[in-house]
Order: sequence, then structure tokens, then C-alpha cells
Amino acid sequence: MFYRLSGIRHTSYPAARQLWPIAADRWQVGLVTALALAAPVLVSDLYLGSYVLPWLIWTAAALSLSLLMGLGGQLHFGFAAVMAIGAYSSIHLTRAGVPFEFALLGGGVAAAVIGTAFGAAALRVKGLYLVMATLAMQYLVDWVITNVPAISGGAQATLRTPEVSFLLLPLESLDARYYVALLWTVLMTLFFLNVKRTSFGRALAAIRDKDFAAAVIGVDPFRTKLMAFMTASFAGGVSGAILAFCYYGAVTPEQFGFNVSIQLVAMVLVGGLGSVIGGYFGAGFVLLVPIVLTNLIAGLAGAGWISVSQNLAAHLPLIFYGGMIIGFLLFEPLGLAKIYDNIRKYFLVWPFRHSGS
Amino acid sequence: MSEAVLRCENVSRFFGGIHALKGISAEVRQGEIFGLVGPNGSGKTTLVNCVTGFYPPQKGRILFEGRQISGQRPHRIASNGIARTFQNVALFKGMTVLENILMGRHIFMNPNPLAALFYPVWAAKEEVAHRRKVEQIIDLLQLESVRDEHVEVIPLGLQKRVELARALCAEPRMLILDEPMAGMNQEEKEYMVRFILDAQEELGLSVLIIEHHLDVVTSICDRVLVLNDGNKIAEGPAREAMSDPEVVKAYIGGQAHAA
Ligand SMILES: Nc1ncnc2c1ncn2[C@@H]1O[C@H](COP(=O)(O)OP(=O)(O)OP(=O)(O)O)[C@@H](O)[C@H]1O
Ligand SMILES: [Mg+2]
Repeated sequence: MFYRLSGIRHTSYPAARQLWPIAADRWQVGLVTALALAAPVLVSDLYLGSYVLPWLIWTAAALSLSLLMGLGGQLHFGFAAVMAIGAYSSIHLTRAGVPFEFALLGGGVAAAVIGTAFGAAALRVKGLYLVMATLAMQYLVDWVITNVPAISGGAQATLRTPEVSFLLLPLESLDARYYVALLWTVLMTLFFLNVKRTSFGRALAAIRDKDFAAAVIGVDPFRTKLMAFMTASFAGGVSGAILAFCYYGAVTPEQFGFNVSIQLVAMVLVGGLGSVIGGYFGAGFVLLVPIVLTNLIAGLAGAGWISVSQNLAAHLPLIFYGGMIIGFLLFEPLGLAKIYDNIRKYFLVWPFRHSGS
Repeated sequence: MSEAVLRCENVSRFFGGIHALKGISAEVRQGEIFGLVGPNGSGKTTLVNCVTGFYPPQKGRILFEGRQISGQRPHRIASNGIARTFQNVALFKGMTVLENILMGRHIFMNPNPLAALFYPVWAAKEEVAHRRKVEQIIDLLQLESVRDEHVEVIPLGLQKRVELARALCAEPRMLILDEPMAGMNQEEKEYMVRFILDAQEELGLSVLIIEHHLDVVTSICDRVLVLNDGNKIAEGPAREAMSDPEVVKAYIGGQAHAA
């Protein structure tokens, strides 16, 4: 067996602090990276464009939110608005002639500035009130975008993304858009993994667990949480911009509405709070399960196995989907990531039943 | 007489109608072990919470090394050089012993999201540098064997030791311990006393310790302050203060009450 924990001894601090201390994990990461790079060749354009691409971008968005919710323990019900700010800012910047690379950063900065301002207000209150404050952000941003034609793009309230190129690579082809999205998601993944092993990530975890004990060793709770808001908002803004340029091609306010914020929260919860692999699982689950369920029910109804009215058929997936989320919250609060971890641990110590640590 | 490191001047604290501290004045001197004793509910933890900034005193003030700290927020006071442990262990769940102790280095670190973005060239150096100090403290408190365990699975006695380690990692000049030996058996108590004395000696700390075990108090404390119902009833060298008639009365009264 090559997939084993035993026999691994680290002899220096840096070695013990590697991202993937187990060789088998490094192999896995390498394999997944290779598959991701080869995806445009392996997967048909239809699947690449309508499944893999949005999955990657939503994963980056879910990871952004998970920074705040998972690591920082701060609920945010207005994260779609943060993404909207990034998307609209970057589009307007490129329209004004700013190169795409800088427009992406600009979108992130705009989202970070506005997101942090709301964060500063929200952090004055706790729990349910924090939720209300972030909700207020969602509705305020929605309102401003819809009601200011200069932002929303005029009467039809759709704003097309201009033709741009990323590092000389024109974003016209699907492959180019896929690689840009992949690059961003990989960056987010590495960043998230690294945050968890720096003093910033530990300070966040400490505040989430016991804020008084964190304060007594010198962690400034307000400043640290605000930095979490800033970081998450920046990442969310860039994710929103990537979503607009690489996937949607044109944006409308509804694409970043309240229900999208709820979906993002669901991605983080179902995947597993503060888990990187959970971000991938959660985004995949939330995007795919409704589609699968719709097809399944349509298929069953079509074959005459079950008889459902048109109306019910439209709502059944939502019912199932809601039920599954509640199921997760009740039975596996640590999400899909925990289930994956259990399976992995099982193989790590196979043929024994339990791991030593 | 050596100088006062920590000085409480007429400190008062109310909780609603409860007058938990009634104008307490006291001072802890450089390098001494100062005991804070008294029956349950006498205000010991409250006084410590005033010093560390959790419950700022409503009257009076507190000075550390000659500068006023009352009114500052807890994390500021911590970075001024005061570390503490809690009566109920307050370790971070989900982290290993090592990570918990590493948290103690926080005031020397630069908690910056950008450091994570450039991890190999920025944060990694910081991590490794601080690990050396952490390993020293782990050695001092003999925690090698549980270094990589999650804190919630180790016995309470060891958890208290980890909390002490975390406090020491901040290289404080003043260490405040709130009942570090509560719930320990005789052997664990002896270990803990040894570690506190070692730490105080090697690191040149001033120590403020709340303790219920009177044998421990009389054997390690240079001076003590006895509180009863928010009042100071005695202060002075440990043995003298503990045999003060009023202290004896308060303790017997307290015990009779508890029984
Ligand atoms: N946060 C609070 N809110 C209300 N009352 C409080 C609070 N903290 C302490 N008190 C009250 O202040 C008084 C002193 O409590 P404190 O915890 O300081 O006692 P203590 O000497 O540490 O006791 P013990 O030996 O049981 O730890 C008690 O009457 C307690 O009920
Ligand atoms: Mg107490």
C-alpha cells in the first residue's frame, strides 16, 4: 500500500508544515491538477462550458465565503451582493479602457471596500443582528444596481462584458475562459490552504472558538474579523468578476440576488465549514443536484412510473434539495468534507480500524 | 523593598446590584509570587478580570509598570506584557497542543492575509522562527509527549499545563494564574507547583496566583491578599496573613456555609 500514514516521520519544521505531508496526497493533487489542465481535451465543450466552468467559479466563490463563515465564524447573507460589486466594477472598468487584469483587481478592491464598510457596521452587532446587517447589504446593493442605470446598463438592465484578453490570451474561446477560471480557483485554493496555517488563520479560528481567550493572548477581535471581511470580500469580488467575464458574458441584477446568497451559504454548509475540499463538494452539490433531480423526475414521469402535475414537477427538486440541506445540518454538520475525510482516514490506516491520532 | 509592577488603586466593580469589589488597593512587586485568596465568590476572579481588561473597574485605576492600563482593551493589555490563564481551561478546541501554544506567540506575529498569499517567502519564515520558542516552552513544561494531540482529548491536568505554556510563550513580564491546580490530584499539583516556580525563576516573572489549596499558597507565595465579599481583609507575608483572625473567621464561615 502506498497510501499510508505509518512510517512518515518529519525531521524538520518546514517538512512537517508542508501543505500535503503525505506522499499519496501529493500524488492525488498532482493527478487532479493534470486532469484539470487536460479538461478541455477530455471533456466536450458542452460539458466544459455548462458544468465544469461554473463549478470551478462557484467553488472559488464558496471558498471566499468560507473564509469568513468557516474560519471566522461570521455568517454573511449578502455575499452575492459582494460578487455583484466585483462583477459590475470590473465591467465598467474594462469599458473605461482599463486592462482586464487590473479590472479584476479593481473589482476585488471595490468589493473589499464596500464589503468591509458593511462589515464594520455589522461587527458592532452579533448573531442574528449580524445576519440582518448582511441582509441589509444584499438589498441595498441590489437596489442601487437596479435603480442606477449608469451601473445596471440602461433600460434592459443587462450589461454585456466587453471583449478582453488576459495576459495576451483573448477570452473569446471557451478554453481560454476555462483556464482563467481554473487559474483563479487554484489561486484561491492555495491561498485558503495557506491561511489555515498562518497566524491570521489561527487567530480567526481562536476568535471563533473562544473570543475572550483569544483577546487575552493579544488577538484584536474587531481588527481580525474586519480583515476576514476584507479578504473574503476581495476574493468574492474577483470571483464575481470572473463569473461575469468567463461564464455569463452579460450580467443582470437577478444573477446576484438574495437567492444566490442563500445558495452560497448552502454551498459552504453542505461542503463543510472552513474546508477547502468542502468548497468543491459544496459548489458541485448545490449546482448539480437540482439539475439531476429535475431530470430524474422528468424521466420518471415521462416513463409513466410516477404521475406528477407540471407544477409539482417544477417544485419537487426544490423540496428534495431543501430536505437534503436540512439533512446535512442535522446529521453531518461538518458536511461532505467530513464524509470524504472519514473515507480517506479509513484507507490511510487500512487494514486497521482506527487511526492513532 | 523592590518596586511595584502591578498596582491596584481603590478598584471597585459592580454587577447590577452586586458590589463585587469594594475599593481594593494592592500591589504586586517585581519578581514575587503574589497570592490572591478568599472564599468562593469573594471577588478574586473579578479582580483579575479588572486587571486584564475584561471588566474595567468602574472606580479606581490599575497601573502596570507605572503606566495606567485600566480602560485599555484586553488585547492591548496582553501586548503590554501581562499573560493569564483561566479558572475553567480556555484552550482552543480543534487545534493541537502545539497550535494552541503557538497561539501564545500571536503578539509577536504579523497576522496578515497577504502573508498567506506569499506563504513560502513570508509566513513560513515567521512560523519556523516562532516554533523555536515554542519548543523551548514545551521542553520546560515537559509537554513533548502530547505535542501533536488535539487539546480536547488530553487529561485536564495536562490541559492546564498547556494553558500555562501558551501564556508563557507570550514572554510576559507578569503572569496571572486563576486556580491553576483546581481539579488536580496530588501528583499533578506538585508538578504544577514545580513548573510555576521553574518558569518564574528562569523567565524572571512576577506571578499573581489565585489558589484555593492553602498549603500551596503558604509554601510558594511571598505575599498574599485575602478577599472576603469584595473587601480586602488582610495583606502581607503569606503565613502571617493566613493566620489573621479575620481570615480564619472568613474561611471557617465560608466552609460552614459550603457544608
Ligand atoms: N459577569 C458577572 N455578572 C454578574 N455577577 C458576577 C459576574 N462575575 C462575577 N460576579 C459576581 O461577583 C462576585 C465575585 O465573583 P468572583 O468570580 O470574582 O469570585 P471568586 O472569588 O473568583 O470565586 P471562586 O473562588 O468561586 O472562583 C460573585 O458574587 C459573582 O456572582
Ligand atoms: Mg474565581
